[in-house]
Amino acid sequence: MKKLASATDPLWYKDAVIYELHVRAFADSNDDGIGDFPGLLSRIDYLQNLGVTCIWLLPFFPSPLRDDGYDIANYVDVNPSYGTLKDFKLFLDAAHQRNMQVLIELVINHTSDQHPWFKAARLAPPGSPEREMYVWSKTNQLYKHANIIFTDTEKSNWTWDKTANAYYWHRFFSHQPDLNFDNPLVMEEVLKAMRFWLDMGVDALRLDAIPYLVERDGTSCENLPETHLVVKKIRATIDAEYANRLLLAEANESPADVRPYFGDDDECHMAFHFPLMPRIYMALRQEDRLPITEIMAQTPAIPDNCQWGLFLRNHDELTLALVTEDERDYMHIAYSNDPRMRINGGIRRRLAPLLDNNRRRIELLNSLLLSFPGTPILYYGDEIGMGDNIYLGDRNSVRTPMQWNSDRNAGFSKCDPARLYFPVIMDPIYGYQTINVEAQLSDQSSLLHWTRNMIALRKLFQVFGRGSQHFLNPENRKILAYLRDLERSDGSHETVLCVANLSRFAQPVSLDLADHKGAEPIEMLGYVSFPVITEAPYVLTLAPYSFLWLELQPQS
Amino acid sequence: MATVNPIPDVPPPSERSGDGLLVLLAAMPQEQRESLLANLMASFPAEALLIASPDAISDALPENSYPSLRIVAAPASGISWTLTAADFVNASQLAEKNGARAILMLGRESSSLGVSALRDLANSVLTASTDLAIPCYDLPPHTGLVNSAILYPLTSALFASRVRFPLAVDLGLSLRMAERLAGAAQHFTRLNQGEAPLWPVNEATVAGFAIDQLEVGPHVQPNGPDLNTIFPLVTGALFSDIEAKAAFWQRFRPLPPALSTVPMPSAHTADAAADIAPMLQAFQLAYTNLQEIWSLVLPPNSLLGLKRIATADAATFRISDNLWARIVYDFLLAYRLRTINRGHLLGALIPLYLAWVASHINITTSGTNPESHIEAVVNAFEAEKTYLISRWRWPDRFNP
Repeated sequence: MKKLASATDPLWYKDAVIYELHVRAFADSNDDGIGDFPGLLSRIDYLQNLGVTCIWLLPFFPSPLRDDGYDIANYVDVNPSYGTLKDFKLFLDAAHQRNMQVLIELVINHTSDQHPWFKAARLAPPGSPEREMYVWSKTNQLYKHANIIFTDTEKSNWTWDKTANAYYWHRFFSHQPDLNFDNPLVMEEVLKAMRFWLDMGVDALRLDAIPYLVERDGTSCENLPETHLVVKKIRATIDAEYANRLLLAEANESPADVRPYFGDDDECHMAFHFPLMPRIYMALRQEDRLPITEIMAQTPAIPDNCQWGLFLRNHDELTLALVTEDERDYMHIAYSNDPRMRINGGIRRRLAPLLDNNRRRIELLNSLLLSFPGTPILYYGDEIGMGDNIYLGDRNSVRTPMQWNSDRNAGFSKCDPARLYFPVIMDPIYGYQTINVEAQLSDQSSLLHWTRNMIALRKLFQVFGRGSQHFLNPENRKILAYLRDLERSDGSHETVLCVANLSRFAQPVSLDLADHKGAEPIEMLGYVSFPVITEAPYVLTLAPYSFLWLELQPQS
Repeated sequence: MATVNPIPDVPPPSERSGDGLLVLLAAMPQEQRESLLANLMASFPAEALLIASPDAISDALPENSYPSLRIVAAPASGISWTLTAADFVNASQLAEKNGARAILMLGRESSSLGVSALRDLANSVLTASTDLAIPCYDLPPHTGLVNSAILYPLTSALFASRVRFPLAVDLGLSLRMAERLAGAAQHFTRLNQGEAPLWPVNEATVAGFAIDQLEVGPHVQPNGPDLNTIFPLVTGALFSDIEAKAAFWQRFRPLPPALSTVPMPSAHTADAAADIAPMLQAFQLAYTNLQEIWSLVLPPNSLLGLKRIATADAATFRISDNLWARIVYDFLLAYRLRTINRGHLLGALIPLYLAWVASHINITTSGTNPESHIEAVVNAFEAEKTYLISRWRWPDRFNP
């Protein structure tokens, strides 16, 4: 008998609105300066009221925290700084009671060098199962075609280990040795960890750094057929033992290379659409829809039960790995003129500062996030327009404490400010005295209220999560216009026309909507009737950075 | 009989299985039970019936009077004035266990239903492709006014059903309707809220099931708790159901025209005027004391409308149908937004409801047929539906 999850609809993730947060950064209940599960639990109603339906937790496992928890030292426990397994279970149950699902990380490409498996492997004889948990070599000349990801800190993917008297392979930091999936014991242990959390009731797993699981000489060591076999094995285990669970792939690759991670609906249910995100920013800055329409044209169809994960920002840098050199230069000039804003070729800034804190630009980009085909993922704090701190190292600029109110430490913790894991944002524009949840809750015109309303609106229309997308091609390229359409089970259609003005000035547009002649567009935010569509071009005028969502209804 | 199903293109239920009608009785005094059983026996052959009751039913029957009648015990319902989530779970489970073809749920005062009413309700789900057979009671004027003021207009406008008594306590259910309701009920029973009322009409409409409304004649309304208890319970349950089904009712779906074939309570004219003075006193007191809460919920135009009527004398006191519709919609919206504690919010609606009752009594005693006025209220709710949707979608308090 399959173990059920909290969701009753197997395709729940298609209609989900995901909220990404770090337990460490959200709320501190014991005043030690570090967020924890009881703190998160105390704020769970905030998330419910915001309207999110799935909470994505960044790694919360025991870890030396040299890569913000992605360096895991124990897969089946909670980092004591964040609480206990019991605390996690209380949070999980509370989320389920509120009809929210929980997504956690399954970081299986690598562990921390402090994981007992690695400690044992260094001491174990070559060829032994313990040693072979990781990828070892007598030379650092293997896998030379694999690129280095963390270019700002790592010079090689191999590091010499004196104890083991061998090099070990690490695709990320040198303190994160890669697991060896050629050893069946690794898969056994990974499945054991996975079952531990799924048995507890966790609804979804994000497979971190999934393209790099297997290495083969003479290749880029990315997206290898053997890697797909690993993913298929994980999926098959879930399908055999569990119901209504989700696997989300993190594969920072082109859409064509990500497509195989859906398989024939036998690998991951969801995958991030990485290349869309930088192109949205490019289209906005260039006031030209082309970067967006081009990447969407390159996006292949995916199996019916699968879904793209869409985001504007996340806990990492705004990656530019999938744009051309010219485009990368343009993005650096346009969005990160201070070199401290850059890391690993990407941009380590939050949404609001990237957009010069312009409310209309923030709303416009969110409107795209919420209306493009896929499941939107919000990064904590972006719903209130939080800022960043580019003077913090690595990608920590965007990982500062959540700003709840204007009290000490932004209401995140009552500890001595010096104890905070990172300082709160204090600058005059984004500082917690100005930007915080409490203030925005009491301000009906705040970005928080706007975001809440937009999420609620999106949830009323299944077409956003499940419908097709068809781009219109008006002459004015500053206008991005597309139709979303969903055929309901009774044969009727849910059709929405989305029109966005990427320009800082008002723009006219003339749309060919003859195929929908006779339909009555209803502006969805205010339920306002627009003139009925005829065979003639449909003319609209859009204010700067404005957008329209129009439901095409049969004429009343 | 008239079909009021707003979605006629849904396929009829699959072929029914089983061989009997499960009749699920509410707890009731022995005398009423005897009368009801006699009516049932007059309507159906005993071998076609399976009676489920929380009472010791064999005591009610003369010895060997119906030897082929099957009787099973049913769990007692926690409350008696309405059907609850737990009742629907029980009904579905009993039907499945006993292989029933359809279900007749009969409330506490169902002994007042005649033989033909019982037969029509049952036959609708036994022999026609109906999933929900719901009675239209013929009640005296000024009875069941929470239904007339809020439940009927809201469900009509939002679910396009025109079912006059959406919270009827006597129902005919197809098996798939019973399963659907049991599924919806499990949400409540899991949270130990088995006594929550369900909304069969809303469920049937969302599922695209066929609904029949049947004229059943006069009916005695079961005695329930007092208004201050029952009002928040019923309106809160309906508001919650509307919130849960927002994606459905906000789709384009106009209210079907008032069909002349739809049975409606007979056109009673109001008799001697009820005393509206206590109602107006409650409203006027609340107008002074609840301004702070009302101003959180209602927009300026509605507050202005209330200010105007607060000073009206009893004889000319009226609330326009449109103002009433907007008030109910704004309270529904505040309920969804949790603007204030939901219990307090619904409590703050009671004096406004009493004002509506006073207005209704004034209107009907001045010669307007009560049903005509209630239909006008329904039409106002339909006309103001766009107001609700626009406020629901963008609940900015800066509005007219």
